[in-house]
This record gives sequence, C-alpha cells and structure tokens, in this order.
Amino acid sequence: MIYGAKRILRYLLGTDIAGRTLAVYPDDTFIVSYPRSGNTWTRFLVANLLHPDEPATFANIERLVPDSEAQSSRYLRGMPRPRVIKSHQYFDPRYKRVIYVVRDPRDVALSYYDFERKYRHIDDTYPLRSYVSDFVGGRLSSADWGTWGENVGSWISTRRGRSDFLLLRYEDMLENTMFEVARIAAFFGIEADGERVVGAVERSSAQRMRGLEKVQGKNWVSTKNKRADIPFVRSAASGLWRSKLPAESIAEIESAWGPLMAALGYELASPPSGYGEPLQMLASSVRPALSRGRI
Amino acid sequence: MLKRIIAGTKLALGLQRPGRNLVVFPDDVFIVSYPKSGNTWTRFLIGNLIHPQSPADFSNINLIIPDPEGLSKRQLAGMPRPRYIKSHQYFDPRYPKVIYVVRDPRDVALSQYHFHRKRRLLQDGASLELFISRFVAGKTSPYGSWGENVASWMATRGGHPGFLLLRYEDMIENTIRELAKVAHFVAIQAPPERLAQAVARSSVHEMRRLEQKQALLWSSIKETRQDVPFVRAAKPGGWETELPDTSVREIECAWAGLMKSLGYPLRFDRELVSAGSQNSDALLRRMLR
Repeated sequence: MIYGAKRILRYLLGTDIAGRTLAVYPDDTFIVSYPRSGNTWTRFLVANLLHPDEPATFANIERLVPDSEAQSSRYLRGMPRPRVIKSHQYFDPRYKRVIYVVRDPRDVALSYYDFERKYRHIDDTYPLRSYVSDFVGGRLSSADWGTWGENVGSWISTRRGRSDFLLLRYEDMLENTMFEVARIAAFFGIEADGERVVGAVERSSAQRMRGLEKVQGKNWVSTKNKRADIPFVRSAASGLWRSKLPAESIAEIESAWGPLMAALGYELASPPSGYGEPLQMLASSVRPALSRGRI
Repeated sequence: MLKRIIAGTKLALGLQRPGRNLVVFPDDVFIVSYPKSGNTWTRFLIGNLIHPQSPADFSNINLIIPDPEGLSKRQLAGMPRPRYIKSHQYFDPRYPKVIYVVRDPRDVALSQYHFHRKRRLLQDGASLELFISRFVAGKTSPYGSWGENVASWMATRGGHPGFLLLRYEDMIENTIRELAKVAHFVAIQAPPERLAQAVARSSVHEMRRLEQKQALLWSSIKETRQDVPFVRAAKPGGWETELPDTSVREIECAWAGLMKSLGYPLRFDRELVSAGSQNSDALLRRMLR
C-alpha cells in the first residue's frame, strides 16, 4: 500500500537526491559525461576558471559546481544562479547549455573497474573480463546512466554542432589542456587571458587533486565511506587500455560501439566489420564537428 | 508546501501518473513515437493483433495498450504481463523492447498544430509559421524536439534486435506488411486473416466512427474541443500543400541529415547542398538567419 515511505518522506522534506528529477532553470550550464570520463577534472577546471579567487577543492566543489546526483533537490534549488551543474545523465532535452566530455570507452572501462571496487560493488577477485562484459551490457552501477554508447550517442546525435553544446574529448584535454580550457572559457563568454587559463589549469592538476583527495577524500560526498586504498583520482592518462585490457575485452567494446568510437576519432584495434546505417549517419556528421573544434 | 503534501500523498497511495518514472519490467514492449506520428493508430493495430477476441476502441485502449500518462502507477503495476505500453518519451535506457514509429516531421508539425487547436493551446487562425519555429526549437512538446526524440533512439538502439523502426508512411502504404513485422518482432503467430482483421478494425473509417461515439470516454481527448477531430487526415504529404515554404525550409534546415537518412526527400535539398555541408547543423542554422 505504501510505496517507498522513505522516498516519499525525503520528497516532502526536499532532501531527495535531485538526479533526473532536478528542476532545470533556463540559465543552467551542465557538465555532462559518462562516469569515469574526466568529469571531476572538468568541474575543477570550470570552477577554477569561473572563480579565480577561490581555488576549487573537494570541500567547496559541491558549492561551486554541484553534483546533481549527490545533492538534494532543495540544496540545488537554493543555489545562486546561473548554476553550473555536474551530471552523468543520458540525453535530457531540458538541459539547454551542455559541456559534454567524452573519453575512449576502453579507458573508461578500466577506470570504472577500479571505481566499482572502490565503491565495494565488486571485490578485488572479480575478473576484469567479466567486468567489461557488465560494462558493455549496462549492468552494475552503469544501469543508471545507460551504456557508454547510449549515453554518448544520445547526446551527440541530438545536440552536435549546436552553439549551446561543447564537445570535449578527455584525450584532447590531456594533450593540450590550455587550448581546451580556452574553448571552455569562450563557451562561458569569459574573456580569459593567458594568466587566468594557466591558473585554472594549474589549480586543477592531477598532482594537486591527488593531494587534496588525500586530505579531503574522507569527507567528500562521492568518496566518503568508500575504500581509501583505491584512489578516486587515478592515473589521469590515456591509452592504458593498450597494456591493461585483455584482447577479448577490447574486441567486446569495439564490437558494441566501433562506429561511434571511430566517429569520435578513437582508433580501433580491430577494423570494423561494417557500419550500421544510423551510426554511419552519425559518424559522418560528428567528424566535421570535431575537426572544426580542433582547428 | 501544500502542493508537495498532496503530491506526496498521491505518491504514497500510488495514484500518480508515472509518465517517465514508470517502473519498467523486463518483458515490457514499448510503442514509442514523437506525438502526432501515428502512435494511436499503431496502438489500435497492435491491440487488435494481440486481442482478436475484443476489438480495440477508445474506451478500452488504455487497458489494452496502457498510457503511463493516463493511468496511475498502481493500475500500471497491476496490468497483465507482458505489457504493451504507449510512450512518447525520448531515449530511455530502461525500455527493453521498442517499436518506434517515425513520421515525416513536416506532417508531424502540421498535425501538432491542429492538435494544439483541439487542446485550446492555439486559437483558430494562429500563425502556422510561428508555431513551426517553436516546433523546431522543441518548445511545443515535453518530449524534446522531433529531431532530438528520433535521433536519441536511432543513435542508441538503431539496428539492435530489440528495436523495430516503422515509418508511418510505410504503414499507410502497406499496413499488412508493416503489421506482419510487428507480429514477428513480438513473436506472435499471425496468419494473414488475423493481420487483415486487425488492419480492418483499425482503419481510419473505423477509428473516426469510434471517435464520434466515444470521444468523451478517452482521457486523452475528453476535455478538448469536440469540433476538431483527433483522427485527422491519416495520409502522408499534407505538408506539401499546407505548409508555407519558409516553414518547410526551417524544418529541413534543422534536421536535413536525419530526414534524409530516414528516406524523407527534401524540397530544398539542392539549396542546402550548395550552401555548404549538410552535416553541420550549425552551418545550416546560420544560413537560416
């Protein structure tokens, strides 16, 4: 008779986690990505760019760029506007301004494996190969966000090429952080001089974030009560899949999302066996958008 | 606060209409489309296909193919399974099996214009051009824009075994053939007589006749203008004579690539090609201004 009494009480008190039921305002900007794709780094970069006088830390990031999947709907309603909000949601038409960060799914899978162990969803003996099958099949915590291909595909197919959509590749951000942060600044309409961009990049370095995690990790909403022996800020590198992912797992990921990966410029270890028609359409429309962004 | 208490009480009793928050079962089959794309016709066809003993009409369609925006959470949870569920939602990763009906957006726009008149959201004689601009921007529907809705499903599920794409225009052209695809998709043995009977019971004449008798029995239209029909022309290509060129161009500019990949030829194709890349929506938008 009573459907989820706890959930209803939370709803009445406004302490329910916002998530997909977040009330969206027209001046919101969202930082969206699949989990383990550089979202937290991007949050730090954006926070440090927008608030040069207040270095981002794990203690203030929920105020500077709040996490819609960790904070309550009441907390988010009370934020000063315009808000910049973190999200892992697949396509939501209510999000008007979106920075979407995409990362090679082979590296995402590796990172997610560590994350699922950190969160105690799987233990250390769980085989990586089984995990990759879960990842491709949308099981474990991925179920909330769709699969990597569904999440990425749903955003790119609906919003690509629009002026209110900024597509960033994690790999480009690593390779030329300054340039990508300058694109972020332009997206926010900020006159960013070199100094401001350099400052934001330095205050968001992997080294600094690792140091902050050591001190503040036990209090941050996303890492508290989680295993402390597995870091949240990991290698901050790209291409680890080449040495760490079993060949079968690489093949499994590529057979699920090969055309989408190719469209995003992720070179496939095994050549594609044939493009599906919708994805071919997507591929041909994403490539020019990417190359335009990289001029 | 009072609003929250009322909503909270409804939640507690399971009386709210779940809409997007529907609890999904692994054996559910969803009939998904953008609004005004032939969803109700498809519901009738499938309802008549799976229940040959009781013809679908506007008084029972919500029990045969339920609408999560028309029934309560509790009613939906108690329906016999497998459920066949109507939906207009853009991509939802939880939907296990999806029959997606797509229709030429130029006809969809025209149909929605008239439906909004029926729902008293537009007055008779309201500017069609203005409406189309809002339609293209996704402001006339809570389900995203036409392009967002269609693309979000195509890019995530296109070509998957649990996804059947139907074009409204193909359904009009050869209804039996398209319904046979549905029967195959949901693994129902359907001999030609059964298909033919379902098609006859869902014909536009039959649906018009039922609408005249039962319009007040169906939650989707009972509070709307009764002088504007819900079952409209039921044919493709109305846009060719009824939509002004500026509106046609605006729609084609917004979704050229997607429309062409679905087999909807563009009136302004050559113009769009000569102006630059068809693949870049941003370029096309700039051109429009």
